[in-house]
Amino acid sequence: MKMVLQNIVSFIVLVLAQVLVLNNIHFMGYINPYIYILFILLLPVRFSRHFILILAFVLGLIIDAFSNTYGMHAFSTVLIAFLRPFAVNLFANIEEDTNPTPSFNSFGIFAFSKYVISLVFIHHTSFFLLEVFSFTAFGHTLLRIVLNTLITTVILLGICAVKRE
Amino acid sequence: MRKLFAFLAKYSVLILFIILGIISFGMVVNNDGYQQSVFFSSGNTVIASLYKVNNSIFEYFYLKKANEGLAKENVNLQNELANLKLRLDTMTTHPIDNADTQASSIDPNLEINYILAKVINNSTNKQLNYITLNKGIRDGVRKDMGVINEDGVVGVVSNVSEKFAVVIPILNPRIHINGKFTKNNYNGFVNWDGVDYRFAKLNDIARHVIFSKGDSLVTSGYSHSFPEGILIGTVDDFNIEESDAFFDIRVKLAVNFRTLSYVKLIDYLNYEERLNLESEME
Repeated sequence: MKMVLQNIVSFIVLVLAQVLVLNNIHFMGYINPYIYILFILLLPVRFSRHFILILAFVLGLIIDAFSNTYGMHAFSTVLIAFLRPFAVNLFANIEEDTNPTPSFNSFGIFAFSKYVISLVFIHHTSFFLLEVFSFTAFGHTLLRIVLNTLITTVILLGICAVKRE
Repeated sequence: MRKLFAFLAKYSVLILFIILGIISFGMVVNNDGYQQSVFFSSGNTVIASLYKVNNSIFEYFYLKKANEGLAKENVNLQNELANLKLRLDTMTTHPIDNADTQASSIDPNLEINYILAKVINNSTNKQLNYITLNKGIRDGVRKDMGVINEDGVVGVVSNVSEKFAVVIPILNPRIHINGKFTKNNYNGFVNWDGVDYRFAKLNDIARHVIFSKGDSLVTSGYSHSFPEGILIGTVDDFNIEESDAFFDIRVKLAVNFRTLSYVKLIDYLNYEERLNLESEME
């Protein structure tokens, strides 16, 4: 029960932080990190895969409504929610019958970092490609993807490191 | 049948993923349909109200800029007033000379009413930027109204709810604004290339047109949104390849989209009449 409550609070806090603070960062004209996906990344490893897809869809739609992006965040977030179990299997050794929450402690520092950066990269690639919806000026899109992936990852790992203490 | 259920159960996650993926991707592709629906946009009352609260917290940081803009506009208006007074004086002293020309033309400005609105959400760092305003249907705002500020053209209203409106600014490749050179009246479309919030591209200027850096570009008045002569920007740079028929022109936008705070919506009083007349012809 405590867990459910905690997740609801983190859902709301992440959405508000995303739309009210991070969407207003005007740095270099390129930077817009999307940290709200932390919610999906930090759900317990054996969380229902159906439910996580639906949560991702709803979360994406809410962010979409705030930024007038009509389905772009929903699609990208559903995509990483679907791919998340594969990333867990790829990077972390989870013992059977355990259900850890992804973190530096449960995965190990390197494994957790790889887990975060790969899913952030997939999400950002999907989102920024949908945003331009063409391959013209691909260099700029690529720059956006790489820069924002780096910055989002740094912020997310920072949040997780602080939470650990 | 049992096999079917077994199949569905086995691949249920994949199936759900595909369904949700298709729904959201469909929204992206069909966004014109969803653009109409205020529910999914920042014109949604809940979302716009949240932005309003947020804006009221952060607006103090932008007060200085807003004041400067208003002071500048004030000076312009005073100059205009002085000019008009002067004209009025000369007209009343020679009423007969001007009687004919006066009767046959109405100053286009008399057809326009400005609605002041406050920007409560704004972005410049995305590929598709949008602006949310604190005025809506109940204040007389409707779709396709032009939006300007004291510096020049901002964008066009795309979505209106009861109390709020969403504007597509020039900083969104989905909008093309017709502009012309003040110098020679050649016109083309201004469109953003998604790179820098200070610059946009001007298309359709043929290679025989003569212009130079620093020339100003204003609205042509051909649209339902803007009267003629509102500044869009100035020519910053241009080049043309040997084989091209049209110039590649970079326009420095007149409006600084980072510091937008108050804007004016252009309400054509005869909008309906013009629209009806034009649609009869189609």
